[in-house]
Amino acid sequence: MKEILKIQNVVKYYGNGSVVIKALDGISFSVAKGEFVAIMGASGSGKSTLLNVIATIDRASAGEIYIGGKQISAMREEALSAFRRDALGFVFQEYNLLDTLTIGENIALPLYLKKVGHDRAERELQRVAQALDIGDQLQKFPYELSGGQRQRAACARAIITDPSLILADEPTGALDSKNSKGLMQTFQKMHTALGSTLLMVTHDPVVGSYADRLLFLKDGKIWSEVLRGGRSRQEMHREILSVTAALGGEADVY
Amino acid sequence: MFTKLALRNVRRQIGNYLIYFITVSLTVALLFAVNNIIFGDEIAKFAQGMTEMRTGLAGFVVFIALIVAFVLSYATSFMLRLRKREFGTYLTLGMTRKNILTIFVFETAIICLIAMGIGLVLGLFIYQGLMAIFMHLLNMEFAISAYSMNGMLFTIALVTGIFIISSVASALYLKKVSIYDLIHGDKKVEKSVKHPLVWLIITVLTLVVCICSIAVFYWSVDEIMMKGMNANYLFLSLFAFAGSMILFHVALSKSLVYVLMKRKRFCSRGTHIFVLRQLSAVLGSNALMIGLLAFLLSFSVIAANVCFVQKAMQELSLNQNCPYDIVYSDNLYSTGDTGKVPLPQAEEVIESYKHIEAKYPYALYTTGKNDFYRNTRWSGEGYAGLTDSFMSVSDFNAVTQPLGFDPVVLNDTYLIVANLPEITDYDWENFTFTWKEQDYKYGGVTREYPSLAYMYFYVVVPDAAVEDMKKEVSYMAYDITDGEYDAASLRQALSYTVEREDGAETYERTDFRFREYSRQQENATSAILVVGALFAAAIFLFMAMAILALKTLSGLSDDKKRYQILYRLGTGEKEQGRTLFAQTFTFFLTPFAACILISVPTAMIIKHIITLSGMAVLQWQIYGIAASIAGVMTLIYILYYAATYMIAKKAVVHR
Ligand SMILES: Nc1ncnc2c1ncn2[C@@H]1O[C@H](COP(=O)(O)OP(=O)(O)OP(=O)(O)O)[C@@H](O)[C@H]1O
Ligand SMILES: [Mg+2]
Repeated sequence: MKEILKIQNVVKYYGNGSVVIKALDGISFSVAKGEFVAIMGASGSGKSTLLNVIATIDRASAGEIYIGGKQISAMREEALSAFRRDALGFVFQEYNLLDTLTIGENIALPLYLKKVGHDRAERELQRVAQALDIGDQLQKFPYELSGGQRQRAACARAIITDPSLILADEPTGALDSKNSKGLMQTFQKMHTALGSTLLMVTHDPVVGSYADRLLFLKDGKIWSEVLRGGRSRQEMHREILSVTAALGGEADVY
Repeated sequence: MFTKLALRNVRRQIGNYLIYFITVSLTVALLFAVNNIIFGDEIAKFAQGMTEMRTGLAGFVVFIALIVAFVLSYATSFMLRLRKREFGTYLTLGMTRKNILTIFVFETAIICLIAMGIGLVLGLFIYQGLMAIFMHLLNMEFAISAYSMNGMLFTIALVTGIFIISSVASALYLKKVSIYDLIHGDKKVEKSVKHPLVWLIITVLTLVVCICSIAVFYWSVDEIMMKGMNANYLFLSLFAFAGSMILFHVALSKSLVYVLMKRKRFCSRGTHIFVLRQLSAVLGSNALMIGLLAFLLSFSVIAANVCFVQKAMQELSLNQNCPYDIVYSDNLYSTGDTGKVPLPQAEEVIESYKHIEAKYPYALYTTGKNDFYRNTRWSGEGYAGLTDSFMSVSDFNAVTQPLGFDPVVLNDTYLIVANLPEITDYDWENFTFTWKEQDYKYGGVTREYPSLAYMYFYVVVPDAAVEDMKKEVSYMAYDITDGEYDAASLRQALSYTVEREDGAETYERTDFRFREYSRQQENATSAILVVGALFAAAIFLFMAMAILALKTLSGLSDDKKRYQILYRLGTGEKEQGRTLFAQTFTFFLTPFAACILISVPTAMIIKHIITLSGMAVLQWQIYGIAASIAGVMTLIYILYYAATYMIAKKAVVHR
């Protein structure tokens, strides 16, 4: 299988002078095309930092990151922006959508930025809106939507450019269990039907149980890895709970 | 504890506070400067006797004060809006509304006080600067001008008043507003414009009205100067212009984005749609303010043009109205004057001031009839007693030749001399003047000569013709040695008191016209006009920019999040910069562009008026003035915009 993401020995320090925090401490792993990987860990373990470094909105202090065979740590700022635009999709915990734009404009914005032309943008918009079942909300503004609907719109925006890698940082963080279930079904649909490669950060074991593979972080290091290997979601869920219990006990259990 | 909280908040929003602070300081400074001028006696000295100018000046100050009040209260409400969420949080933490209000008023009072102190100091410098320009315009030595205590007190009173009013407004707002609105009020996107199509139609209509009103103004200037029509249309067109200018900008603000948004292909390129949506919110909800700003800016442009052209034309108009240093006219009909100085005696008085180098006597004669006037509109009702005036060609040549004109030769012909443009409209060529059985044929109509007699027009005829006429007025033109002298006191020395026949009032008059005295008077007038125009232009420009900047910067905290999203979606630093530029520059440009364009018709109309009034104009001079005013205003505007842009860019663009 083709390797989409490859990370080697990534280290990230925060701060300077006397107080230095080592947020990432020599992380290495890779993600194959079409994989759905979840990253879990306690608060402060470095999950968001890892995602931001991969998302190229933060720079690693050391180590190499390859996305689609390109080494992003060597790229210049403007090239990185173009790379982000063309090769990555994002869903964040909050502030995903521009409040001044309609849902439709929000979803199509990555295509506008790519300057693909109006007709194609319109076609793609209809396609993803239909796939994620938000076709009747395109004219509304974000404040007219519920949190779950907003996250679905953010997902639609993340896949509209057919990125080689979709990154999501606690996409269900602001949602209740029903809504997060809906969103996870959306993710699964993106994964199975559209063949997207997903890398998702979460601290919710239920959400994590949708993934093919789970990485557990502790103190900036990969502490353990769980593979689905054909197991059902319930079995995955149980395994995740046992790993988190071993990880630190005080992890969130829903 | 809450004071600590408030203090920390001040430190965090230091940029916004700085802008508020600078706005208040500068407004106070400008206000203080103008109050010094009004209450000080420097300009009053020159404006003395000119009652119209006094009232005009007072009205002007009230106008300026109102506008400054508007800016100050706007800035204060900006502060309140800026801290809405913070106050909402305080309320949820259990603070009472009264507590919050106390903190807010206390804080703003302190900032205002410091700003007022700095503003007053700054105002002193601005005042000296203005006085320096003023003195320079009067060709006088610049000395540090005295400050006026009253001006300072008035400024303080005004600023305090404005502060109290805006505090009361804030109090009323804080008393009523719900916590939810405080915390989430700004989260909701500003409502999109209702009925954009109607606004689009209004935009087009008002643009048409605006252009038409300029055309009507141009035309009515013609009508007034050529046919003596009343000024109704002139005022009507001015009102129409002001109204349509405001409404046009209101409507434009509400429809511009709508029009652009209709162009789907344009919207789907890069960050265009983002910019349009940003603008839609900010333009739509500030439409009225933009209309007012546009009006004030056009006022500045027009006022500055009129005043500077007036200044530039001053020398020309002086040559036109007072070709000789001193002109004496003896009105033979005036009776009952006491203390009238006989001419030889008067000449001695003149000699004591300046040496008389040459004298040119001339006279006007009358037939007692209105053969000429009958052909013009100055006949019939209202002009009953008006009789024709004549001058002999030898007198005329004697008095015009020293001014550099070629002698006129008349062979049984007549020459009509006037300054009014309409004089050429009448059919003179077929008119033959008959006097004592002698026919005088048409020999020309001219507007070339400066004014030597104060008539609508007079007729130059061969010497023989005036022999049998009655002398109407005798004149004496004097050339004196060059150089300045105390014309006002000479004029005073040659004035006398006239007693009315009914004995009701007496008044001062003089039979002399002093070029130097007129020059000084005109200097004072144009100095006041120029300084006033400069001042108004500065205030309006500053105010427009302050409001636009405050508006732009107060949106930064929201914009920051939006640009972060753009950044994550792969918008590079450069493109973010371009996007921010498009967003802020359009906002700044909306109230400004049309006002600068107004320079063109303004210059055209001014040129037209001056041409009609019979003065030779240097076309490039008027257009040059218009261009420099537009240039300087644009430059200041761009500088201010650039500063705002830099601040915004630093706050918003992600790297
Ligand atoms: N900008 C920053 N400056 C300094 N330290 C930071 C910064 N961002 C994160 N850190 C530190 O790095 C460590 C990892 O933070 P990170 O945000 O990656 O945690 P996380 O796993 O996402 O936690 P959570 O589940 O709470 O979101 C933490 O100790 C945090 O304090
Ligand atoms: Mg995190």
